Amino acid sequence: MTDIPEEPADQAPCDHCGIFTIPGPLAIQSAWRDITFDPVRDRIWTVSEGIYRTIFVEGDRGVIAFDTFSTPGGARAYQGAMQRVFPRKPVHTIVYSHDHLDHTGYAADLAPDAGILAHELCDKVIRARKSDGQMPATEVFTGERQEYNIDGVRFELLYPGPTHGDGNLAAYFPESKLLFMVDTVIPGVGYTFFPDWHLASYTALMRRFLSLDWDVFVPGHFWIADRKGFEDSLAYFDEMGELAQQAIADGLDADDFDAVTRYTYEKLEPRFGRLFRFDEYFAMNMVRYMQHFLTGGWGIEGNLPPTTTPF
Amino acid sequence: MKQHMGIFTSDKLRDYLAFEPGMRAEQLSDRIWTVSDGLCRTIFLEGDNSVVAFDTFGTPGRARAYRAAIEQAVPGKPIKMVVYSHDHLDHAGFAADLAPEAEIVADEMTAKIIDLRDADGQLPVTRPLSGRENPVNIDGAEFLLINPGPTHGTGHLSAYFATEKILFSSDTILPNARYGFMPDYHLANFVRFMRELADLDFQTFVPGRHQVSDRDQFIMGCDYIEALSVACQEAFVEMVPIWVHDAMAEYCKAKLGSRFGGLDGFDQHIGQTAIRIVHHYLMGGWGLEDTPEPAILLA
Repeated sequence: MTDIPEEPADQAPCDHCGIFTIPGPLAIQSAWRDITFDPVRDRIWTVSEGIYRTIFVEGDRGVIAFDTFSTPGGARAYQGAMQRVFPRKPVHTIVYSHDHLDHTGYAADLAPDAGILAHELCDKVIRARKSDGQMPATEVFTGERQEYNIDGVRFELLYPGPTHGDGNLAAYFPESKLLFMVDTVIPGVGYTFFPDWHLASYTALMRRFLSLDWDVFVPGHFWIADRKGFEDSLAYFDEMGELAQQAIADGLDADDFDAVTRYTYEKLEPRFGRLFRFDEYFAMNMVRYMQHFLTGGWGIEGNLPPTTTPF
Repeated sequence: MKQHMGIFTSDKLRDYLAFEPGMRAEQLSDRIWTVSDGLCRTIFLEGDNSVVAFDTFGTPGRARAYRAAIEQAVPGKPIKMVVYSHDHLDHAGFAADLAPEAEIVADEMTAKIIDLRDADGQLPVTRPLSGRENPVNIDGAEFLLINPGPTHGTGHLSAYFATEKILFSSDTILPNARYGFMPDYHLANFVRFMRELADLDFQTFVPGRHQVSDRDQFIMGCDYIEALSVACQEAFVEMVPIWVHDAMAEYCKAKLGSRFGGLDGFDQHIGQTAIRIVHHYLMGGWGLEDTPEPAILLA
C-alpha cells in the first residue's frame, strides 16, 4: 500500500531544522515523503519510505508510534499513514529507539502532545543536544529491561549495552514473537562507514537477543528479516573485523580510500560482491573497521567490556 | 620477542607491529624536536637532564624507533615523562615499548578510556589532569597543556610552547585536506574549539600527521572544515544522495574547489570527509561529546 497525501499542498511548511545552521527555508525538511504501510503481525504495523523503516502498534484507544522518521515532512507523512490505518485513534505514545535525528528527531511534527519513552542514555543526549524539533522524553527507563503494558499493548524495552548511537533499545513483543531494533542489523553490508557504531562490543551485545523467542526482526532500514538474516548480519561484522586486520597486515593504508577500494574488489568481491550495497559501502566498512583497530575504539561506548549474559 | 598487540586479535599483525622504520628527529627550537614515521608526527622536549616525549607512535616497533631517534638527538637523557595527546592507540598506544618507567601524563578522560580499554602495550595514566589548562614546568622546560573541549578522541590535549611560539595538536587540524572519514572527530564544536587555540601567539604548528606547518595553514584548516560543513548542509538540502561517495565528492569539489582545491589531498579525500560531515547533520552528532555544551561530560 502506498500512502498518497490527499492535500499535500495544504501542509503547513515546518521549520523545525534539527541542527542545521544554514539559513532556511530547508525545502527537504518539509517535503512530504510517500510512505508504505503494511500489517506485520497481530496489532503491529510497519511503515517505510523506501529506506527508513519503523513500526506502530494499535492500542485499545490510540496508537503507539516507534520513532518519528527523518525529517518534519517525513514525520507528518508517518502521522498521516497511522491516521489512515486507525483514523479514530490518536498517537498517544512515542518510543524512541535511540537519539539520532534521522530516526527520532521530529516528535514535534509527529505528535507533539504524545508521551515519549526512551532509555535514559538516549534522553541525556537529546536534552544536551537541544535540536529543533526533537522533544525530550517524558518517561525514561534505566538498566537493561523494562516491561510495559500501555493501552492494552504488552511489550518490553531492552537495552543490551552500547551498539549504535546512545541508549539504543530494542522493542520485544513476546506474544507476537517480534523484535524491533534500529540501525543495528540491516540487510546487506553495513551502512557507509558505520556512523556511531560501537564496534568493540557490538556483535557480542547483539547476540544477547538470540536468547529470546522471536522469528520476525524489523530493522530501521529496508526489509524485514528473520533469525537467519539477523545472525548472518552479525557474522558479517565479525568477519569484517578479521578482514580489516588482514588488510592492515597486508600493508593497506586506511587513509588511502582508492587503495582500499581496489583491495576490496580484487580480494573480496568474489565472496561478498552479491551482498546488498557491496559496491556502495564495502570499502567504507573496511576503512571504519581498520580505524577501529588502529585507534582502539572510540570513547567510553567504544571501550566498555560487553555484557554477554543472555536476556 | 613478545609484541604488544594493542587491541589486535590476529597473529597476522606481528610483522606489522614489529616493524621499526627509520626515524630522524628534526630540531624546531633549542629544546623542541619533531619526529615522523612518514605519516604520524609528534614532538619531544629536551629538559636539562631528561626528555619529555609526546605520544608513542602507533606500534611497538615505531615506539622503539621513536626512542632510538630521541637517543640519537639527545644522547644520555632518559625519557622521564610521556604526555598522551589523546587516547588513540595509533598515537599513544605503546608507552610500554617507548619508556615503561616514565610518568604518564594525560587528561582525566583519556585516563578513563585507557583504563577501560586495557589495550596491550598502552600504559595507564599516572598523572591525570583536570580542567582546561595545565601549566607544566619540568626539568627546566615549560609548556601549557590545553583541553579546549571535545575535538578528536577523548580528553584531547594540545601543547603550547609560548617562548618558542609553537603549537602541537595531534589529529585535529591538518596541514592539508587528508581528513578521510574524520575518525572520532567531534564536529559540533570542533572548529570553535580549534579557533580558540588560534588566539595563542604561535608561528609554528606541529600537527599529529604530515609535515610541520604554520599559523596560516592552521587557520586555513579551520576555514576548510567550516566551509565543508556549510557545503554538506547545502548538499543535503539540494537532495544530493549524501550516502554516495562520488556524488558528495563532485558536489563539494564544485563548491569548494576554487578556494581549497590547492590543499594537498583535496581531490582524494573530500568525498569521504563530506560523507562524514553530512551525517553529523543528518544524525545530530554522536554522544555527549557532540552536544552544544559538552562540559556535561564532566558533570
